[in-house]
Amino acid sequence: MAESFRREDEVEEEDEIDDTEYKSSKDAVLFAIEVSRSMLMPRSTSGSKNTSTETPSRAALKCAYHLMQQRIISNPHDMIGVLLFGTEASKFYDEDENSRGGLSYPHCYLFTDLNVPAAEDVKQLRELAEDDDKAEEILIPSKDPVSMANVLFCANQIFTSRASNFLSRRLFVVTDNDNPHGDDRSMRSAATVRAKDLYDLGVTIELFPISRLDRQFDRSKFYDDIIYKTSTVDPEEAPQTNTQTPSAGVDGISLLNSLLSSINSKSVPRRALFSNMPLEIGPGFKISVTGYIMFKRQEPARSCFVWVGGEKPQIAKGTTTQIMDDTARAVEKWEIRKAYKFGGEQVSFTPEEQKALRNFGEPVIRIIGFKPISALPFWASIKPPTFIYPSEETYVGSTRVFSALHRKLLTDKKMALVWFIARKNAAPVVAAMLPGAEKLDEDNVQKLPPGMWLLPLPFADDIRPNPETNLVVASESLIDRMRTIVEQLQLPKAQYAPHKYPNPSLQWHYRILQALALDEDLPEKPEDKMIPKYKQIDKRVGGCVIAWGEELEEQDRNLFSRNSKTSTIAKRPAKAQRLDDDSNEGTPASKKIKMERDGHEVDEVAIGKCYESGTLSKLTVPILKNFLTSQHLPTTGKKADLVERVEEFYDRKG
Amino acid sequence: MADKEATVYIIDVAKSMGKRHHGRTISDLEWAMEYVWDRITKTVATGRKTATVGVVGLRTDDTSNDIKNDDNYSHISVFQGIGQYGLPHRGLFAAWLRMCRVLMPDLRRLREVIKPSNTNAGDAISSIVVAIQMIIAYCKKLKYRRKIILVTNGEGLISSDGLDEIIKKVKSDNIELIILGVDFDDPEYGFKEEDKDPAKAENEALLNGLADECDGSFATIAQAISMLELPLEKSIRGISSFKGELRLGDPREYSSALCIQVERYPRTYVTRPPTASSFALRSGTSATQADSTQSSATVVPDEETEAEARLTGIRNARIYQIPDESSPGTKIEVQRDDLAKGYEYGRTAVHISQSDENITNLETDQALEIIGFIHNDLYDRYMHMSTCNVIIAQKTNDKAILALSSFIHGLFEKECYAVARLVTKNNKPPLIVLLAPSIEPDYECLLEVQLPFAEDVRSYRFPPLDKVVTVSGKTVTEHRNLPDDDLLYAMSRYVDSMEIVSNNENGVPLDTIPLDEMYSPVIHRIGLAIRRRAIHPSESLPSPSSKLMQVSQPSEEAQARARKHLERLEKVADVKKVPPKTKGRKRNHQADKPLSGLDVDGLLHHEKRTKISSNNTIPEFKQALVGTDNIEGVSDSVNQMGAIIEDQIRNSLGDANYDRVVEELGVMKDELVAYEEPGLYNDFLRRLKKMILQNELAGDRRELWWLIRRSNVGLIDKSVSELSNVTEQEAREVGSP
Repeated sequence: MAESFRREDEVEEEDEIDDTEYKSSKDAVLFAIEVSRSMLMPRSTSGSKNTSTETPSRAALKCAYHLMQQRIISNPHDMIGVLLFGTEASKFYDEDENSRGGLSYPHCYLFTDLNVPAAEDVKQLRELAEDDDKAEEILIPSKDPVSMANVLFCANQIFTSRASNFLSRRLFVVTDNDNPHGDDRSMRSAATVRAKDLYDLGVTIELFPISRLDRQFDRSKFYDDIIYKTSTVDPEEAPQTNTQTPSAGVDGISLLNSLLSSINSKSVPRRALFSNMPLEIGPGFKISVTGYIMFKRQEPARSCFVWVGGEKPQIAKGTTTQIMDDTARAVEKWEIRKAYKFGGEQVSFTPEEQKALRNFGEPVIRIIGFKPISALPFWASIKPPTFIYPSEETYVGSTRVFSALHRKLLTDKKMALVWFIARKNAAPVVAAMLPGAEKLDEDNVQKLPPGMWLLPLPFADDIRPNPETNLVVASESLIDRMRTIVEQLQLPKAQYAPHKYPNPSLQWHYRILQALALDEDLPEKPEDKMIPKYKQIDKRVGGCVIAWGEELEEQDRNLFSRNSKTSTIAKRPAKAQRLDDDSNEGTPASKKIKMERDGHEVDEVAIGKCYESGTLSKLTVPILKNFLTSQHLPTTGKKADLVERVEEFYDRKG
Repeated sequence: MADKEATVYIIDVAKSMGKRHHGRTISDLEWAMEYVWDRITKTVATGRKTATVGVVGLRTDDTSNDIKNDDNYSHISVFQGIGQYGLPHRGLFAAWLRMCRVLMPDLRRLREVIKPSNTNAGDAISSIVVAIQMIIAYCKKLKYRRKIILVTNGEGLISSDGLDEIIKKVKSDNIELIILGVDFDDPEYGFKEEDKDPAKAENEALLNGLADECDGSFATIAQAISMLELPLEKSIRGISSFKGELRLGDPREYSSALCIQVERYPRTYVTRPPTASSFALRSGTSATQADSTQSSATVVPDEETEAEARLTGIRNARIYQIPDESSPGTKIEVQRDDLAKGYEYGRTAVHISQSDENITNLETDQALEIIGFIHNDLYDRYMHMSTCNVIIAQKTNDKAILALSSFIHGLFEKECYAVARLVTKNNKPPLIVLLAPSIEPDYECLLEVQLPFAEDVRSYRFPPLDKVVTVSGKTVTEHRNLPDDDLLYAMSRYVDSMEIVSNNENGVPLDTIPLDEMYSPVIHRIGLAIRRRAIHPSESLPSPSSKLMQVSQPSEEAQARARKHLERLEKVADVKKVPPKTKGRKRNHQADKPLSGLDVDGLLHHEKRTKISSNNTIPEFKQALVGTDNIEGVSDSVNQMGAIIEDQIRNSLGDANYDRVVEELGVMKDELVAYEEPGLYNDFLRRLKKMILQNELAGDRRELWWLIRRSNVGLIDKSVSELSNVTEQEAREVGSP
């Protein structure tokens, strides 16, 4: 126990994030789904073979349900709620049709209050989305029209009371009615005023329009007065991402799918990792960029403690107080000193010195130089990249300069090497800045945005030598057989598509939790889309694999028959460092000097060959050093010096 | 996992070492010790029990070594043994372990004894013999990396008697002998001492010959010191994180499945800087008291260690609380025994009984299974999610090596990568990984990195960079956000001029900043600071070395090469810095409009919202400010907000309304900064603080004040608004309760 807590502290020390923002960085999404006769009209699929039907309201509810489930996994502290409008019944907190004093928000039905969802909320929403009986109870359209001003103010009240101080508050409106108030000027202006209130409150309205059977949804009729160009959350958001959301199509399946896809793309508010960071193109020449995390490993939330002493299990919140080892007196923060263990004692620094040691200057992305992407080894990787996109906020003109750089690097397949300090006092890293082209899917929807990617590179301290092993190179005939196998088993489009591979352990974890929370039967078998398609593999390459296996047996017999008995047990002679691929397989190079230092052997023959071919500089520094040591030559200086010294050695030798 | 090491440092402390030479401000001994201290402290910093160190003084006043009866070995003293001589007894094992590690008290003691002596007598070769004896006694025939490092000025008498025997012994015992001399001539390094004493020259030649004969090294100390900036290269033997089968197909179902025994080792692994632990001043001592009370109790009497002796460790004590349903806003403490392990599903607590502990874990089988192949041109390099591992065939299995080789070459020739599912141990979560072939002249392996799962990808969308799409849906290719041909050309020239990979005469690319020459600035800077502080506690922090910082700027040559292209680029780019926050942005400010451009404020002013209602405070406060054009109006709005906020606090059940209050304060603060009326906010906040601290708002609301402080909605100080008369210091003081 104590172990894990200590680790937590250390992590804290490493990423001290400036927590000055007065709003908590949580997100609250309220769905406002219209219930009307047309929204309840089933849309059948266009294909005749499938008879499934879907009403727009139910499709929207399914999306809300889907999003709720997804966010429990991905953003467990974010809030979500569902407000139906246009219903015959009304419900708002403690009032309904029977309450005295009339209704504040007639025909608004707060189905799921805005909150971090509870298991019960998930269950009820699922019933409404999937169970016809349940739906018929509630999804009854009102005879009177609903006032949009009322709907918006209702949402205002929900956000104000439930999601105070949230950095991001969003109202997702799903409707097929592009002109709810027609020419009624007073109703219209009341709605626009309430929309302005929401805007001033910092609530963003996202519209998910659904086309009616007979006509397309026209935003300009009403909604352009309701929706504001810039969201307060993200001033960088381009206008077209708002206006170009395709309105969901006409038939059932594509209705659900396109709604799901457009809601998915908005599922998480875009949060910057850093804003208006200087990107120093060259000394004294800066533009500004904003950084985002695009790939982040999603893990199941850590287990917590649940209090089971009462009727209802409750999550117990732990608070840590730091106490002294000797007297168990609570320690105030100012009393704490940091010290490093060294030689059995502590070496301490003042807090100012601690800070100074980690300070390498102001946050910056500074270009050190450019090189071909091909010069970036595959293994030079330590963690996921950061995505950057230009921002005009500190430097006007940043976008065009960034665009010019982006284009040049894409065309020439080049990358920039950058010095990168992500925030104040963050440890500096050296990163590869790679250009990324925009990628669209079949429907021209953006899959990957255009921009640059910062890939942190390993330092020399992070690079491990290859483990020692024997080298046995397969013969052409064996490789030929393997080539066919590789050829036959290409993934669709010969590409990796992340969205096809949900994380099976993560999904299973939450699937079980959901079942436990709702007191349902546990699912029998997990759905695991990562399991290779064995049947297909056998069908496609089964024969090739068998042919390959026979060839392998044959070669193995030829190569190792003599010493196969001992080879598995006895320690083998140290590996042969051969530089020419054509030499006899499996037979170690005969002439070599063995040096037990740093695990590198010195292969004079190989180095001699390099000398002859003028490729000495391809050798690594340790190999060169070992060679020089073996020849009693100095091993000091830069790599170029070492190479020169080896050359001199051979020159002298003639 | 590194090898065991035994290193003996022989330090010449002769009277002559106390002198200064060649204009240096420190004595020869101090200079030489820069090297020795750095090496020893680097060893201590590893904290390894198997890295042992011994220290021998040469030309000391006294004699203290195991062969001291022999006159040849006089004036040689063992300052620090590498271990007890003779086999340690079982009971002594713990003590023996402590002996062989150098600890802080040892360092302090060494610092005391390593001083110039009053004699120049003593034989360097004899001291090597003493060191050899120490190593033999300590290491026996065990596997150790044995090393002797002699640091001397090469003066005094050195006898070459029995040199052959010594050389034989050094070689047969595989001891690495390093001889470093003060002002030794070193043509390789480019140093030659003028007017060298012929005796010294003779000794140098002798020592040089000795080092050569022993396959050791010989160098001038200046060179050794210049290399100190470079971190010690340490070879870490990786531990395999997976040993199992690389599979294609399911061998349980299909006879056609392919299986190769493989192992996985790290290729990159992030080294963390040393972490500091937390300590507190020992109870009952304050900084001033300590000096008088501690001195008698302290084990080590040095003054600088007293500070450390006063420190005591810190433990974490945890308490658990649940919300009290019967009185909202309060919590009750619960016992650890009443708690079960569980998870949050949304806001529902799901507890899991001990017998079901692993119920949420997916059952998996250890294996590396191929899912399919992709073309390497169609893979985006930035999808790498993790550190990299190498996959090699089982080490002693030639058939597996042969099989994997064909797989590696197959991928290579088809220019493909493999996508695979990796389970490193039974019931561990599966990882989705990418396997790339790596073929070097002398090494073949697969390189493996993790790929993102569906849930790991965030689909943020951004507008294209090569065109601009207008609101009406038109595509434009000439725009202020798009580069024109001049800019594209200038950028192209600049990028080309800053190339850091150059082809040598033979067309082999040479990287001027290779990966294995970039060292982590944080790790090495902190490491150096700790080592320096341990030896010289009163010195200030060293600044990061130029070697560490070389990658923080383009090289001088590159800058010079690119200068004219950069100037050209800057000119055509015409980038303008946005002036710092334009003042008073809200006065006479155009309100934001909806997409249609409708003037909603016009509609609003029609209604004339000057009265702020308690259920729509934030929007109405903002709108009232927009609608007013005089200070009275602003002041009135602030008063109304203040009254509403006080009410909300008064009516708050526990902390129910606190978030709302903090949000309203935040909006007020922002708006009043923008309207250049910081005084109004500061006055209100001071009043509010008084009311809270005097419990005037229906009970104890101290928690709210704490929240206000933490949420950064305290007084507006001068750094935020020039018009404020509150300094940052005052703002902090008002913040504290």
